[in-house]
Order: sequence, then structure tokens, then C-alpha cells
Amino acid sequence: MSYANWLTLIRNAEKTSMISGKVRKIHYTFPDGNEMAEEYSMETGVVLRRAWKRKRELMGEPQWELELGEPIKNPAESNNFVVRESSEQPVLTKRITKKNIEWRIRNLPYPIETYSVTANPDTNNITVRTSNKKYFKNIPIPELDRCGAKVNQGSISIHHQYNTLIITYKKPDILCEMEVAVLRELQEVETETDMDDLLNDLLRK
Amino acid sequence: MTDAEKLEVRDITRIERIGAHSHIRGLGLDDVLEARAVSQGMVGQKEARRAAGIVVQMVREGKIAGRCILLAGEPSTGKTAIAVAMAQALGNETPFTSMSASEIFSLEMSKTEALSQAMRKSIGVRIKEETEIIEGEVVEIQIDRPATGTGQKIGKVTLKTTEMETNYDLGNKIIECFMKEKIQAGDVITIDKASGKVSKLGRSFTRARDYDATGAQTRFVQCPEGELQKRKEVVHTVTLHEIDVINSRTHGFLALFSGDTGEIKQEIRDQINGKVMEWREEGKAEINPGVLFIDEVHMLDMECFSFLNRAMESDMAPVVIMATNRGHTRIRGTNYRSPHGMPLDLLDRMIIIRTVPYSEKEVREILKIRCEEEDCVMNNDALTVLTRIACDTSLRYAIQLITTANLVSRRRKSTEVTVEDVKKCYALFIDEVRSSKILMELQDEYMFNEIESDKAKDKDSIKGKGKDKDEEKPAEPMECGDN
Repeated sequence: MSYANWLTLIRNAEKTSMISGKVRKIHYTFPDGNEMAEEYSMETGVVLRRAWKRKRELMGEPQWELELGEPIKNPAESNNFVVRESSEQPVLTKRITKKNIEWRIRNLPYPIETYSVTANPDTNNITVRTSNKKYFKNIPIPELDRCGAKVNQGSISIHHQYNTLIITYKKPDILCEMEVAVLRELQEVETETDMDDLLNDLLRK
Repeated sequence: MTDAEKLEVRDITRIERIGAHSHIRGLGLDDVLEARAVSQGMVGQKEARRAAGIVVQMVREGKIAGRCILLAGEPSTGKTAIAVAMAQALGNETPFTSMSASEIFSLEMSKTEALSQAMRKSIGVRIKEETEIIEGEVVEIQIDRPATGTGQKIGKVTLKTTEMETNYDLGNKIIECFMKEKIQAGDVITIDKASGKVSKLGRSFTRARDYDATGAQTRFVQCPEGELQKRKEVVHTVTLHEIDVINSRTHGFLALFSGDTGEIKQEIRDQINGKVMEWREEGKAEINPGVLFIDEVHMLDMECFSFLNRAMESDMAPVVIMATNRGHTRIRGTNYRSPHGMPLDLLDRMIIIRTVPYSEKEVREILKIRCEEEDCVMNNDALTVLTRIACDTSLRYAIQLITTANLVSRRRKSTEVTVEDVKKCYALFIDEVRSSKILMELQDEYMFNEIESDKAKDKDSIKGKGKDKDEEKPAEPMECGDN
């Protein structure tokens, strides 16, 4: 139960940071060649988006993989795809609030009795099942892995509204502690302001 | 061959069209590489086949790079057949690139680039990589063609596992793959998300009772469990050329589909060679050297030959097999004459396998095999006549007569082809010898024969060719680019 590993990884990464609007963006390049990007809200200090670019041996340039936050639509991709899920299929998004980790699965019209959400301490993830066999998903929780915490069934609560299943997981204390420690680490990263802000300042004068 | 085996082979070949060498299934050698008289579609040519068997063994071992083998022999003595048989004997795992030497003359690409691409296509690399795949049973598949006949096809597929079900939209490229693999509801398939490769694992057990008439080779598998999309370590077999294309930034891997790869910089190739060596040392990759087959190799010119000289010395070079039917002739692009139309220094680096003309008995066997391949029942007398024709004219002409005679016999609702049918076709379609004889006799009636001095020259060249007078190179009759 310690986040020392993660903190050293963050500390050793090459970091750049900038502020754009009300968001602070941080880009990490890890010694193994992987890249990570994070967006923090300037108001709450909560991470809004986190994405990974994992180095690949073959098959060209890696793509950004979103770990949490709203996905960014790429219009260029819409025409030239190999295979993709149809737009009316369930989509999973994840977000983090001060106290909880939340997953929203949109386009799930079935009533709440259909779903069962269980914690698997062995693989440290949670599983969503439907009794009508329409949806199934293993959701990993990388945050818990990073601070060495085990998943706990008691922390899960679910809610269904407007075709959306909302799964809420209450953050354990150690995770909150880790987030604070990471933020403290990030304070020391030099931050550039965005061009927009500079322009706005100039216009004001 | 037992009946069941025969049936299976039939099943496969029926779907494909019948090509000049589609009856060949292997070299027809026994365990000690001795050639059997008639086996796997091959007839006669024992020495050459035995030699080819040794080459196949050499390729399988994969230790030796950049060896060169020349198949030399008269027209229609089975040079391409031996090459096709070697490809079959090596199996699907070993890359076998077959090209005709004239393919390299393109306006979009330099000759040497085309050659090095061909060489790199012949080296396979097996790489373990974790990729995202979709694995599930097809519930429903729907591919809509636009009513106008042109434009984009729209495809949708519903896949399920024991736990879930999802609809997917299919991109244009992958629709082609689905059609090629003939995927239908009830099949269990995997889709590689990055490359768009679709492969069929088998049919689902739940569908086992749907049809009684499934082929013996249908495999039944369980419906997959858990999530449809998963990360799995898969072994890719890619060629060096594919890695080149994927890593040349300007194109990306989509260029592989469109085939428009352009020229690839030497730096990229060097980089990739280094990388592949590194992977091999780390145990991540395995090199699987294959064969490059260049047919009609006398069509390469001097530059290509000297390029090959150098390229074959690289330790990433495949085994190169060439075929030619030329004797002592001019090397293209020079005024020097040389055996097989190839420079002596290159000839010195290769081992030469000679093919010899077929005997009458062998010709008969070949014609028999071709009849079987074309589903043509021919009675013995007709076969004897046809063999006679093949010996007098050419084997290719006789093979053409099988198809036509078969049609003629079917016209008169006969179950088998008789001597009459063959005779009729022999009268209807003239062969190269008769054609040139007619031309010589009726020279003056044809166009552009006014100039007396040209006549003699024309006569000479007519001898060596068919009806086509405008063609510059003296081609063998009825040749469609491959022997």
C-alpha cells in the first residue's frame, strides 16, 4: 500500500506544462519512451483527462489512448476507419471527482435490475455484467494499481438514469493522498502560459 | 490418393479459376527427395525436380542468404511449373514472391527500387506483438451495395460472445476482407483492429445443426467468452517490405492496402534491418527467409543484373530463383552476347537447373492431368491424337485444344470428348506453325508488304512468332507471360 513507485516515475519523467484557459496541461515523457498527458482543472485541482501514448515496436506511430475524461472527436478518422463500434452501442467514459471515480456507460437502455457490478480483487478490476447478455466489460482501475490499493466491493454504488449506467467508486484515502502528492510534485514544474492569454493581455492594453 | 482426399482437393480448386498451373500441388518427391514419375500434378523432369527439392530443403533450413538458382530450358518444359511447385512445397508460411522480369519496368518506380522491393517482400519476419483484437461469433452480417453499382459499400456486423453482443460498422477495406473470407452468420472470427485482418476460426457449435451439408474440413469451435475486444499477444508474419512501408512516415500502413508505396529511402531500410536484427537477438522476432522467383529473367537489363550481383551479397537477401528460355543471346541494354542473355559474372554466382523437353509418354500424362483439372472426360483415342498434336506443335496448343474440344463435345451433348471433337478444333484453331506457313504463302496479300527487302527479314522473324507481327520481341506462341 504505497504510491512511492508511481511518484518516482512521475519525478523521473521529463515534464512540460502549460496553461490554456482554465486547464493546466502537463506532458510527461518517461524514460522507457512512453508518453502521458494530463489536464488538470485550475479551479478544483482535479484531473479532467489523462491519455497515454505507449511506444510500439512495429506497426508505425502509436495513437493516444484515453485513460479518463471525455474523448476528443477526431473528424479525420470518421471516414477512414477499418472497423468501429456503431454509434448506438454503449460507450464507457470515466471521470474523477474529488471523492469518487465515476464511470458512465451511455446507450444502455435496460432497467437497473439487469446490471451486476462486481469487484474482482484477484485482477484488481471491476466487472459489469448484464443478465440479458448484451453488455460485458472488465474495467481496470489503474489508479488503484498505482497506489497499491485493492478494489473493494463496498465502495461501489450504481445508478441508472437517461439510458446511462453510472458506477461510482469511492476513492480510498491512500489514493487521495497520492493525488495530493503528485500535485505537489507538479507545482515545481515550470509552466508556460498559453498564447491565447498573452494575446488577450495585449488586446486589453 | 484416396477418394476422400481427392474430394477435398476438388472442393478447394473448384472455387478458384483454373490457371495454367493450378493443377500443381507440390514437387511430387518422396521422403528421400527422389522424384516420383507422376505425383502432385508434376510429370517427368525428374532431374530438375530432384534439384528443386534440394533447393526447397535449403530454403527451409533458412541459413543461407542470397543464393541464386537458374531454371533454364526450352519453352514449355515446365520451368514455371517447377517454380509453382516449389512455392507449394514450401507452404504458406514461407514467403514466395513470384514476378515476371518485365514487371520492373514501370514509370512510377525505378527498376532497382522495384527489384529491392521484390527482394524484401521475400523475407518474412515473425514478430510477437500485443495488439487489440475483436473476437466473436457473427450473429448477423449485412453488406449493402449502392444501387448504382459504384460508390462505397456499407457494411454492418453483429458479433457476440457468451456475455455480450455489439454492432460494428465496417470500413470499406475490411468489407473486402469479409467477402474474401466468405464470412457468414455463425462463423467465429477475429479482427485485428490495427491491420484490419480478418480470420475465420471456425463455425460455432450452436450452429452445428443448421446445415447438414457442411464440408468435412469445417471446424467447430466454442463461442468466445468475456469481452469482444481484448488485447492479445499475436504472432504477425510480415515481410520486410511491409515493415518498410509501415515505417515510411509519408504513407503509413494504409499504403499497404492501396498498393501505392512509391520509393522507400535506403536509410529507412537500413534502420529496419538494424531493428529486426535487434529484435532477433532479444528473441522478439524470427526471420523467415523466402524465395523470390523472377520469370523471363532475360527481360532484365544490364543495370538490374549488376544490381542483383550486389544485392545478393546482403545477408538479408532471399534465395532467388530465375527462369529463362533463352539460349545464347544479347544481354538487354548492351551489345554483348551471353548465355541465357545474362552476364557471365552473375551466371557464375548461380547454380543452373536444366529442364529438358518432355517425352511423348510424359506429354500424355500432362494432358491427362489437365483434362482432369478442367473436368473434361476424354476417351483414349482422342488423348492419343492430342498427344500426337502436342508433339508435333506444342504442349500449350494441345492444352488449349482440351478446353475447346470439351466445349465442342458438350455442344453435341456428349459425355466424353472424342477424336472428332479434337479434329474439329484442330481445324478451327490453327497453331503457330501452320499460321506462319500461311503467312509465308500469302505474304503478298497482307498489309505493308510492298517493300521487297523487308520480306526476307519478316520471314525470319515470323518463324519465331505467332500471328502477331507488330510485336518486337520474338515471343513463344501462346505464351501468356509465364511458362
